[in-house]
Amino acid sequence: MWFPDWRLRRPDAPPGEPCQVVGNGVVLARNGLAAAAGVAPGMRRRQAETLCPAVVTLAADPAAEAAAFEAVAAAVESLVPRVEVAEPGLLFVPVAGAVGYYGGEEPLVDRVTAAVAEAGGPGARLGLADGPFAARLAAAAAGEGPHIVADTRAFLAGLDVSVLGREEMVATLRWLGVTTLGALGALPREAVASRFGPAGLEAHRLAGGEDRRVQPRPLPAALTVEERFDPPLADLEQAAFAARSLAHRLLAGLGPWGGAPHRVVVEAESATGMVRSRTWRSADPFGEAEVAERVRWQLRAWVESGGVPGGLAVLRLSPADRSDRGRQLHLGDDAASELEATRALARAQALVGPEGVLQARPQGGRRPGEQVQWHRWGEPAPAPERDLRAPWPGRLPGPSPALVPPAPRSLEVEWDDGSPARVRLGSRWEPVLAWAGPWRHTGRWWVGEEAADRYQIVTSAGAFLCEVRGGKCYLAGVYD
Amino acid sequence: MAELAREQAAAPAALARPVPGAEPGRVLGLVGPPGLGLTRLGLSLLADPARRGPVAVVDVRGWLCPRAAWEAGVLPEHLVVVRCPEQGLWGRVTAALLEGLPAVYAEVPAGAGEALLRRLGALARVRRAALILRPLRGGLPSGLAHLSLFGEAVRWEGAGPGHGQITRRWLSLRAAGRGAGGVEQVLEVVDDGTDALRVVPRLAAAPAGRAAG
Repeated sequence: MWFPDWRLRRPDAPPGEPCQVVGNGVVLARNGLAAAAGVAPGMRRRQAETLCPAVVTLAADPAAEAAAFEAVAAAVESLVPRVEVAEPGLLFVPVAGAVGYYGGEEPLVDRVTAAVAEAGGPGARLGLADGPFAARLAAAAAGEGPHIVADTRAFLAGLDVSVLGREEMVATLRWLGVTTLGALGALPREAVASRFGPAGLEAHRLAGGEDRRVQPRPLPAALTVEERFDPPLADLEQAAFAARSLAHRLLAGLGPWGGAPHRVVVEAESATGMVRSRTWRSADPFGEAEVAERVRWQLRAWVESGGVPGGLAVLRLSPADRSDRGRQLHLGDDAASELEATRALARAQALVGPEGVLQARPQGGRRPGEQVQWHRWGEPAPAPERDLRAPWPGRLPGPSPALVPPAPRSLEVEWDDGSPARVRLGSRWEPVLAWAGPWRHTGRWWVGEEAADRYQIVTSAGAFLCEVRGGKCYLAGVYD
Repeated sequence: MAELAREQAAAPAALARPVPGAEPGRVLGLVGPPGLGLTRLGLSLLADPARRGPVAVVDVRGWLCPRAAWEAGVLPEHLVVVRCPEQGLWGRVTAALLEGLPAVYAEVPAGAGEALLRRLGALARVRRAALILRPLRGGLPSGLAHLSLFGEAVRWEGAGPGHGQITRRWLSLRAAGRGAGGVEQVLEVVDDGTDALRVVPRLAAAPAGRAAG
């Protein structure tokens, strides 16, 4: 259930004028007049104001939006228990049990529609499909009436890949000629996982209609954190401060379990013993700041609706489920920095192509270039071509040259009685101050490989590794 | 290594000073002609941030050998090399990396404009990322780098007239900028192929080298 214009439902939104709501410099919502001028969610504020100079810009206030949305959530919850608030204006309702109770999907949708219209007014879009991802898209596709999807897989197949919302991945998919979720779902899962990593695997599952099902696992009771307040807190700011410390304890407690929650249950007990509970959901695993923020929004919603009489006596947070990809560290120190690093590298990859973003690992070999095995970033490293532990006679000792030309480059060296005397660097000749070698590489003569001698040559302008092969001298590395 | 560790423990504090590091939100410039050892110095500065997460190198020429970075202490699994020979993309690629990585070492192509470099510096400040710039030709715009290290000279040890092997280098640097306290300083870096890069005062250079051998 989705209110596309929920953020614009505020008293300071001017009727009859183009209007947008902005958070962190990005357009989050806009009304029809602004949309007609070309303003779209996700656009930078400055760009939107250039397109529509008359637009009225309002700063986002998520806490106020959440507080206002509480009435809608409560109305739906009176019909179906355990609703999940994804963001103010967007609600997920698990309907498997309720469909049987109300005698089918249509009677259930009718009741929910009526309850929502009463609590939140017109403008709600209802979508019914398998899983939150498809349900959200069904709601987006819905008009005045609800959109009930009979075949979720077929519904998703025709949608553009941009609905995945991962900009870099979508750009790369388009570059590869994959434009619809159907085309993405038809690709081998292993190939997608290999190319895009966990994010690709998740996208492939979503595209194939296999949305992540929330299957609460039995978690130790110790993972639930709570704070008791005596006397009960009447000040929202104090409660929000306590929420931050609770969020920290919740995430810290989950750390050893290797998980991060996609859903968090916020429970508040008032001084009079009234217990309120709400589940918040996030597409990405919750971090500490996000949990604290959701708790703050929720508390404000309850306080403003008079839901915590006598003040807050107990605040309790519990993870409703854990992600299996949450805080398993791979590249970054934590899930947030890992995600940022992955996004940054994916953006770079979209710019320079998959062959331009590389990782390497050591392997055996004689030449410096041979001792490095490259592979594309995001793909598993292949098995080493040369055994690192083998002796490799003729191998150069460290330190290694920092620069190694990808292909041999001719180097002019003057020899004096078998010793290198001068090296041509650009337009000038540099005298050789010292030299070491040769390290002889006999080559596999039975496959036509030439023998080569390698020398370290030191000049006042730097040190070089050169290779003499077939009577010619080549630059093999620069000790830069 | 044990000898080196003993020597470091016994050395005066000035001899064991670490090399100026790549600081979050700051630009470090490495300026000097190729061959002076600034590439290896830049890679060694990535070793510390690479202990905490991934770091990237923007390789304009396609020549970078990651072995030098590994020898300098950069974890292979945390080093990502981005090859960007196209000058038009260089700024966007570097900016994309600064958005999400804690440290980026970027070779600066000859045609990179001052405005672009200043934008990258501002982005590094905003994102609290360490940016190490290594211009392939010329220098950096004035005031851009928090600390600029100018390569003055390099001296290699270990190789003789037809014998031995390169084992160690002494790199003379001139440090300037706000990171140097606004006063130009001369320092010398010794690198023996391990990750134990050290700054030594010039006068102490010779004894320190002898003892560490």
